[in-house]
Amino acid sequence: MNKTIRDQATNLSRRRFIIGSAAAAGGGLALGFKVPSGIGTAAAQTVANGAAEVNVWVVVKPDETCVIRIARSEMGQGTLTGLAQLVAEELECDWKNVTTESPTPGQNHARKRAWGDMSTGGSRGIRGSQDYVRKGGAAARMMLVQAAADLWQVPAGEVGVANGVITHAGSGRSTTFGKVAGAAAKLTAPDPKSIQLKDPKDWKIAGKAVKRLDTADKLNGEKIYAIDLKLPGMLHAAIKACPVFGGKLVSFDEAKIAGRPGVRRAVKVDDSAVAVVADTWWRAKSGLEALPIVWDEGPNASQSSALIAEHLKQGLTANDAFAGRQEGDALKAIEGAAKKIEAVYSTPFLAHATMEPMNCTVRITADKAEVWVPTQNGEASLAALSNASGLPLDKCEVYKHDLGGGFGRRGGTQDYVHQGVAIAKQFPGVPVKLVWSREEDQAHDFYRPISQCRLVAGLAADGKLVGLHARVSGQSINAYLNPAAIKDGKDVRQLQGYAKDPGDAQLGYTVPNLLIEYAMRNTHVPVGPWRGVNTNQNAVYMECFMDEVARAAGTDPLEFRRALMQGHPKHLGVLNAAAAKAGWGTPLPAGVHRGLAQFMGYGSYSAAVAEVSVGNKGEVKVHRIVIAIDCGHAVNPGQIAAQVEGSVAYGLSATFYGEVTVEKGRMTELNFHTYQILRLASMPKVETVIVPTHDFWGGVGEPTISVVAPSVLNAIHAATGKPVRSLPLKNQGFTVV
Amino acid sequence: MALARVQLPAAAKRGEVVEVRVAIKHAMETGFRFDNDGRVIPRNVVTSIVCRYNGDEVFRAETGSGIAANPYMQFYVVADATGEFVLEWIDDAGERGMERAALTVTA
Amino acid sequence: MPSRRQFVAAIGGLAAAQLLPALASAQPDPFAPLIASFTGGAPVRQGRVTLDIPSLADNGHAVPLLIKVESVMSAADHVRRITLLSEKNPRPVIATFHLGPRNGRAQIATRVRLNGAQRLMAIAQLSDGTFWSGSAEVVVTTTACLDDS
Repeated sequence: MNKTIRDQATNLSRRRFIIGSAAAAGGGLALGFKVPSGIGTAAAQTVANGAAEVNVWVVVKPDETCVIRIARSEMGQGTLTGLAQLVAEELECDWKNVTTESPTPGQNHARKRAWGDMSTGGSRGIRGSQDYVRKGGAAARMMLVQAAADLWQVPAGEVGVANGVITHAGSGRSTTFGKVAGAAAKLTAPDPKSIQLKDPKDWKIAGKAVKRLDTADKLNGEKIYAIDLKLPGMLHAAIKACPVFGGKLVSFDEAKIAGRPGVRRAVKVDDSAVAVVADTWWRAKSGLEALPIVWDEGPNASQSSALIAEHLKQGLTANDAFAGRQEGDALKAIEGAAKKIEAVYSTPFLAHATMEPMNCTVRITADKAEVWVPTQNGEASLAALSNASGLPLDKCEVYKHDLGGGFGRRGGTQDYVHQGVAIAKQFPGVPVKLVWSREEDQAHDFYRPISQCRLVAGLAADGKLVGLHARVSGQSINAYLNPAAIKDGKDVRQLQGYAKDPGDAQLGYTVPNLLIEYAMRNTHVPVGPWRGVNTNQNAVYMECFMDEVARAAGTDPLEFRRALMQGHPKHLGVLNAAAAKAGWGTPLPAGVHRGLAQFMGYGSYSAAVAEVSVGNKGEVKVHRIVIAIDCGHAVNPGQIAAQVEGSVAYGLSATFYGEVTVEKGRMTELNFHTYQILRLASMPKVETVIVPTHDFWGGVGEPTISVVAPSVLNAIHAATGKPVRSLPLKNQGFTVV
Repeated sequence: MALARVQLPAAAKRGEVVEVRVAIKHAMETGFRFDNDGRVIPRNVVTSIVCRYNGDEVFRAETGSGIAANPYMQFYVVADATGEFVLEWIDDAGERGMERAALTVTA
Repeated sequence: MPSRRQFVAAIGGLAAAQLLPALASAQPDPFAPLIASFTGGAPVRQGRVTLDIPSLADNGHAVPLLIKVESVMSAADHVRRITLLSEKNPRPVIATFHLGPRNGRAQIATRVRLNGAQRLMAIAQLSDGTFWSGSAEVVVTTTACLDDS
């Protein structure tokens, strides 16, 4: 069981001791914050109860428990268990003795970023840390072995280790990690250059579908999400921000709710939000509903989905797009082609809709600021806390709770921490728990950006693709969150998945004349990264249109693609694997049709084949979806399958129901009656094929979501004979059964 | 805040080093942001901040988009004679601003 | 104990260089051309200049910074100019400050915009023509650009 918040929040003396011992020992070698090996903490770091911190990644207790330190956030994606597997593999401990612990951002800061980057996003939790955490496990093993060798006065090279037991064959002696950990912790760390990592082919713990370490307390009620937190004397805050983005708070009449039981204060949070604080959240929420508030909604109050759609449509043919891909002369090739196919696709704003809404608990005193928060980036929460409270970093602490959903909402955007501090400052010394209602969460997201895409293809007389022109017109995430990241006016991030060169998101097709452009058209709606970010809509555009083109050529969609993928063996590999597993080309029961899609993102290659039937009234049944993924090294095949299944659930919900529309400037779908989620009965059978190429590290959390929608849409196309060019399906006459 | 603020003690002894704080209300448009039509919003930042004490320049900052919105500067000056602090600034668009504060210097 | 001696890495300057492969590798110094244009090629010594900035910043929109240069700030011996350089910002020169003996203290506070985790450097020119530098590292928690590769 992962000892995190409960221990850290309540066992203050142990927490102070960990930080204090680091300081007393000089904090170890200063390795520079860019290289978080943590291998070089020189002095003995004795933790409570005789446990020994061999290095920052591994603590060994006298009872043989190996506590592996996990720096990244756990949001259900299984990174905690995967990282523990990688460390344990090199450590050569007994997996049964492994438990985990998460250093706080404050501890990371106090120990000069010994654990490195804590941010968890971009499907980088494992691939971004595997090298140094494996080295950390290996270094700890080497020190434990050396400690035994020193004890026995034999060369370390004669000492063997497995499952936490250290042996010297020559003299028949053996000992265990728990017995030598104290001595090991006093040794100097090995030179990182001397550390040999195991070949993944020899993995015994990593690479296996071991059970997750963190399931039990989700089932027995012990798990405390941040929204569950109870602290003595805690107050509760409910918040409302201006329903129209860009509007301002003019006034509110606190006197009208002053007499309500339990209500303490109405607090101006910032220029556009007000909160009510009470002794229970229900009282805070109902007080907020009764509070008269005057907003100045501003000029965006006249915005609507219709106006936004017009604005985007204009970008499809305007002169100001930049070319992200330009090879050959696509316009000329299409002009001279025997057959032309043209289509316009559109996809909406999507909400993250994390099951646990935005929340945090903050306590501010004159010399300490603390926040309990579900966060994808503990250091971002720490920085936000310091910035908002005005207290320096070393007077701030963040208690990271596992997240009830992240999906990109809880990383760089720490707006709820700023709000929590503004409220808690009004109640010094008192923990104040701010929880957003579902309506507030739906209305104040950083949405998946809205876009449209116009695609034109030219086919030769023999059915070969001679030219492809795609123009995406839509909102830019970087323009909203980080405009300086856009170099030379070219926002390549919005063309994710269409890249020419190998990298995180390469297009898997070779097209002789290719033009892919992006026209930036922004709106007043805040946007941000949603699981899979821009691969979602870009896969719909490319893969659904590719089926239209294949059909126009009279060619099977799989064969049509294969002909374009000879230069992309890994993309082709997953496509073939999915097709083989799904039995593409073999007969199906009457009324069942197949659709496929392939796309790359986050360093991994994905392909899907969906089996779908469509009733006369547009009732869609998704029977089965086969997903193949090549993520290079596969740390936990069971967890990969779970992530794939989760991506199908999240992806299908978005495909059938997902849209947040704008009316009178405000976001409209505010709860799960209008922003629906797939029901269990509609969930298809999901089969995961892990294509093992072993020679790289790709992500797992996000890649496969991109192929869910297009494979289902292509199956619907096969079933009905008509392409679906706009999402969600509920607006196109389809329901899911 | 009005367009600018100059803060320093109202009085100081001759030779005392006093802290001066200036703040200018200015968006410091970086030239990297985009409007809704995807066009770059032109750069307009404060490029020069000058402080004069009894007519002599005692502080000058050449600034750019790397200075945060509502530029804030804090620096020190030796109080030598009663008189006036004048803050002046100019931005990319040629807009100029000025703010004054008085300092009484005693023996 | 031969095995332990073999095993123990030399802790000190040598091992520090070994332990910092990223920093020790031959990457071109992004500051070099900027420094040269400020100093006209004159040598710059590390010291006397300190940058106080939080080591972790929230999104980099307005990060408080304090620049201090050790100097008596007399007519004969004072700081004339300080330039503030950024390793990662799109415009690398953040600001240049002009001071003199009438300041009494060479200390400036301001707020800067930072584009990503980076090193900042301040170079001071003294009245005797010498140049001194100080730097600081800041981790700016970015707004989830993790899908950019």
